[in-house]
Amino acid sequence: MMDCGQYRRSILADPHDDDAQMRLHVAGCHDCTAYTEQLLRFESRLDRALRVAAEVEDNRSPAVPPAAQAQAARARRLPRRWFAAAASVLLAAVVAGSLWLAAPGPSLAADVVSHMAGEPGAWARTDIPVPQPKLDKVLSEAHVRLRANAGLVSYASSCLFRGHVVPHLVVQTEAGPVTVMVLTHESSRTRVRFDEHGYRGVIVPIPGHGSLAVLERGPATDLEAVESVAARVQSAIDWTT
Amino acid sequence: MKDPFGGNQRRARFQALCQTLRPDLLRFAFWLSRDRALAEDVVQETMLRAWKAQDSLLDEGAAKPWFLTIIRREYARTFERKRFVTLDVDELVAKEEPTLAAADDQGLAELRAALFRLPDEYREPLVLQVLMGYSTTEIAAELGLSSAAVLTRLFRARKQLRVLCGEDTRLDPEE
Repeated sequence: MMDCGQYRRSILADPHDDDAQMRLHVAGCHDCTAYTEQLLRFESRLDRALRVAAEVEDNRSPAVPPAAQAQAARARRLPRRWFAAAASVLLAAVVAGSLWLAAPGPSLAADVVSHMAGEPGAWARTDIPVPQPKLDKVLSEAHVRLRANAGLVSYASSCLFRGHVVPHLVVQTEAGPVTVMVLTHESSRTRVRFDEHGYRGVIVPIPGHGSLAVLERGPATDLEAVESVAARVQSAIDWTT
Repeated sequence: MKDPFGGNQRRARFQALCQTLRPDLLRFAFWLSRDRALAEDVVQETMLRAWKAQDSLLDEGAAKPWFLTIIRREYARTFERKRFVTLDVDELVAKEEPTLAAADDQGLAELRAALFRLPDEYREPLVLQVLMGYSTTEIAAELGLSSAAVLTRLFRARKQLRVLCGEDTRLDPEE
């Protein structure tokens, strides 16, 4: 049986560790529950702190990035075709990187990702569905119904997000849990893919009903699989207003 | 053999990948180097090297760790070339103040400054875990350490960081 010292050493090394022994210990220990809550608040701030602005500085010309200038002499020795291709990658990366950060979608995506840090328990891999009454209650608050073809929903919570209560669901797939947030108050004109802080996902505009945020976590996640879940969930939703 | 950038879409897909990953790559390079200008140069150099070596990326899903490995190597090369002698953390913090600042949250700026003060061997696994979403096993593979060593470093990183930030550490465990 794990003691408090072992539990706290483990949680301090990995606050999102979903080890069964740790869950068992914290379920019966008031002090460690309080400690975990305090640590997760700190973790959320740490996550925000690490997300420094990533746009290109204004005083740097996006057309001629400094590294490209430094590369110029070397590039002259390289095959012209290779340089043209590499330069186009750099230019596209710099310009699109700036646009990516300036677009409205990523800030919504960033908030979704930030929200994830506060609910690590939602990411458990399981085949146990959330009780139907709980799922119905969460969905009804957003005036939404979900047909069974959405897949196995293992987690459902009504979350406060950007000033609105929204359904936060986790759908289990063969590749692992996928989070879906039904953002009825967040209109999005275009479909936006994102890859931030270990989370990869997509914001899907739903005309007249806001948008869906669908995401996975981990460096080896498959964005095509996320898109597939997004399409499945979108087709399974009935809007009741 | 699977080629994620095969056929006519090769260049477009690689460009799209660079666009998607660039913000996180830049953040990783920044926390690695604690120098914004150097981080931008390292990322640019990384993208050039990545473009040249893209045939070695066999699975697009593994692109992020692939890029991060190139960044770490590129940063190591830069470090060797420049032969930095001493680092005054106060000077580093002052120099990078525009990046560390958080307009609406002074505490966040202090936390960022505290991250600057963490030893490299603690800061890097912490960034991989929190910012990049790496598991302990993945961090161990990237850094060439055992999982136990990674957990020890992560434990020490948070413990030191919490002290530096003035958190209530009365319930923190001893090592």
